[in-house]
Amino acid sequence: MQEASTTKRLSAEDRRASIIEAAKHLFARSGFHGVSIDQIVKEVGVSPAILYRHFKSKEELYEAVLHEFSCTRESYVETVVADDIGFEQVLRGMTRVFVTSIINQPDLLKMEMHSQLEGHVASQEFFLNRWKSFTDYIEYNLTELINQKKIQPMNVEAASLIYQGMIREVLLLKCLRSTNRLIEMTIDEIVDEIINLFLKIITPA
Amino acid sequence: MSFDAELDAKGLNCPLPILRAKKAIGELSSGQVLKIVATDPGSVKDFEAFCKQTGNQLLSSAEAGGAFEFMIKKS
Repeated sequence: MQEASTTKRLSAEDRRASIIEAAKHLFARSGFHGVSIDQIVKEVGVSPAILYRHFKSKEELYEAVLHEFSCTRESYVETVVADDIGFEQVLRGMTRVFVTSIINQPDLLKMEMHSQLEGHVASQEFFLNRWKSFTDYIEYNLTELINQKKIQPMNVEAASLIYQGMIREVLLLKCLRSTNRLIEMTIDEIVDEIINLFLKIITPA
Repeated sequence: MSFDAELDAKGLNCPLPILRAKKAIGELSSGQVLKIVATDPGSVKDFEAFCKQTGNQLLSSAEAGGAFEFMIKKS
């Protein structure tokens, strides 16, 4: 009873935030379909009625979790406003911002993995959209470099896919798996090395 | 509002609209205005931050029909 009276004192806003926080961990662990409203209310320590006062459905709660992630969306502005900054520096800067953001919220990566299997349309769009910053940047700039004859013609969409695949794999390796692979390197070192290799592919000597 | 150059960044995710705006502003003279149209909701915050950091003036920022329109005056 003591606990119930403590939890009651939370403002509506704090209550909403605590539900989102608990749901985030559960969705990250088990995906959208793997979590029931029952589990969420148990985790938060409230009644289903209170949860439904804030969110009409599990769907709405899931979207609120995604929305919260989107509010912390990486800003690349600082990375790109510096003078005389070229393709390579921007790509390194953006990647560093993105990787740091995922390391700080691995739940985001876990939810992305679940959403890939679950085929939840809204969430697939949400996660694709995060990668789109990279694919847009790479495709636009490679096209420009090709037009200026600074690099050889290539399929720029395939090139951006290569990049997305490499970075995602590093994140999976370092954030979700316990393995000895590349254990002696930090995530920043691996990312730097991978970018070097990528640049070699697109600008062969 | 009149403008001197226009940049269509619809369908592109940040930071590409910012980078293209930076380049377009580089080609303007001081006091000239660049109009940018983007669709990425993140562009609203990003153009505010961009103007703050570069000293260019964000004259207006408006949403219409799912697109965001920005007017930036070169410092």
